[in-house]
Amino acid sequence: MIQTRTEAADEPERRVVSRHPVSDFDHWRVVTVHQLQHYVRTNRFYGLMGFVVLISVLTLAFQVDAGVAAIQVQQLYRSSEYLSNGLAYSGLWVILAAAFFGGDALSVDFSTGTGYYMLVLPIRRRVLLAGRYTAATLATLAIVAVYYAFDSAGAVYFFGVQNIPWSLLAASFGVAALFTLAALSVAFCVSSFIRSPAAGVLVTVLALYVGFTTLQAVVELAGIEPWVSLVYAGGAMPAVLDTDFVHLQTIPLGANQFYTIWVATAAEGVEIMAGYVALFLPLSAYLYQRKESTG
Amino acid sequence: MGSFEVSALSKSFRTGPPALRDLTFRYEGAGAVGCLGPNGAGKTTLLKLLVGLLRPSQGHAFLNGIDPMVDRKGALWDVGALIETPEPYPTLNVHEALEAVGLARGLSREDVDDEVDRCHELLDLPPLGDRVGWLSKGQRQRVALASALMGDPAVLLLDEPASGLDPAERVRLRGLLNRLKRDHLVLMSSHQMFEVTEVCDQLIFLHHGKVLLRDSMDRVAGRIRTRQVDVEFEQPVTPDSMAALRAVATDVVLLSARRWRISFDGSDETRARLLDLAQGAGRVVQFASASLVLEEAYLELFPEPADDL
Repeated sequence: MIQTRTEAADEPERRVVSRHPVSDFDHWRVVTVHQLQHYVRTNRFYGLMGFVVLISVLTLAFQVDAGVAAIQVQQLYRSSEYLSNGLAYSGLWVILAAAFFGGDALSVDFSTGTGYYMLVLPIRRRVLLAGRYTAATLATLAIVAVYYAFDSAGAVYFFGVQNIPWSLLAASFGVAALFTLAALSVAFCVSSFIRSPAAGVLVTVLALYVGFTTLQAVVELAGIEPWVSLVYAGGAMPAVLDTDFVHLQTIPLGANQFYTIWVATAAEGVEIMAGYVALFLPLSAYLYQRKESTG
Repeated sequence: MGSFEVSALSKSFRTGPPALRDLTFRYEGAGAVGCLGPNGAGKTTLLKLLVGLLRPSQGHAFLNGIDPMVDRKGALWDVGALIETPEPYPTLNVHEALEAVGLARGLSREDVDDEVDRCHELLDLPPLGDRVGWLSKGQRQRVALASALMGDPAVLLLDEPASGLDPAERVRLRGLLNRLKRDHLVLMSSHQMFEVTEVCDQLIFLHHGKVLLRDSMDRVAGRIRTRQVDVEFEQPVTPDSMAALRAVATDVVLLSARRWRISFDGSDETRARLLDLAQGAGRVVQFASASLVLEEAYLELFPEPADDL
């Protein structure tokens, strides 16, 4: 027992503050809200959202300028074709958003003072990670949803609301959500061992986009289906809506030489994405749990 | 009542000498423990090990009897910590930053608002709607202090709590810590001798990762010999009047018209003799140690790193 000096001993400071036990689920909710409040006010969120809106508005403006008839001919009179072509770059947006929100989600704790604020709270690290992962998923999906919304609005304008395959569109968005989880799992994993937040974002973009695209090209050149590539799996997002879907296409290059292109089926894409989540998310949690604040 | 304990605790990093070597101590109840030491002594490392930000190389740390390496949530449940420079997200406002802490510590939403108001009053926080990114360093430090106090945890671990505060804020903080230590257990690391002297009841001196001295504030003060005294006379005295003191002292320096600083061998016998002689030179209104006891203790314990004082 420490002997408190007498000159300080008049009225006690400690009051009765009612505190109730907090479950991991409640902590997860607190962290998710806290993190989401942060994400939706960052410049990267405004910037990415603004960029998506700008590109989508410009695309739509050019299409409107071309006229309904021209677009209908170009898209073979099928709204699904229009939607599928419009979503061709959805994977890029998911990757960019996932890198922006996940690339430094964990490294901020070990390179800035954020860790000294959050890691001294009575919250298990895996719960902290789960809350941040959820917030990053919601922030990323908000960006992707806007992209989908513009594509849908265009389809409604050119083909009429009654001709839109809403169930396929919802399925495509579901695949996009799973792709977001997979991309964020990779981003969180990068973030759990790279100390600098900026480097974390950069390495995530390079790994997810340049790395996987290169890997896919190399594997395809070898004549093997590139199921190891997450970018390949991302092809399932537009493919769900593609009524003329072709899984395998062989292009002759010369005498007895062929180049084979694969497009992931929805089932294949979902399996690959789920595999990435199953591999990288637990790995992120393990690395984050063991990481020390040595700075 | 809270407690903190370390048992045979050591910490080494990949490079350099061990940061902490075989520390063992336990404190419980209420009061304030000061952790002192020069740069690199291991003060912050000790605090980080206590809250589980670092893993011990050997031994264990316990907060309220729970090892944070085994049960982080349980160990930190009744602990408020301010280590290094905590930074809430700059995009959040002060209320939002503190709200998350309060909810994480099990406060209801209504109680969170009450606690934020209490901290606002105690620490003169900036307007609650201001974004953290807009705040000055001192304001941010006060928000970080408030986060440690949210929910009124029994144990407070404070690493250089006065860092970034202006003199008026430091005085306010000392007053707050003196009130808190009546029924909280406070572990405070500091370079600020004065703050430690004013607040702490127990002292831990660390040097090169080892405990050099661990004792009560009063006993440390008693162990340290004073080698300089300041004498203040009612009226100015001439240098000739101080001749008798010069014969006993090693040095006698005029500080102001009525004040003199006398250096001597530090023995109680010489000190008593100097007092007698000073009273012979004029009417003495003050005869006191020239510097804070703790600073002298520091000098005795760490004669080399004078630049850290």
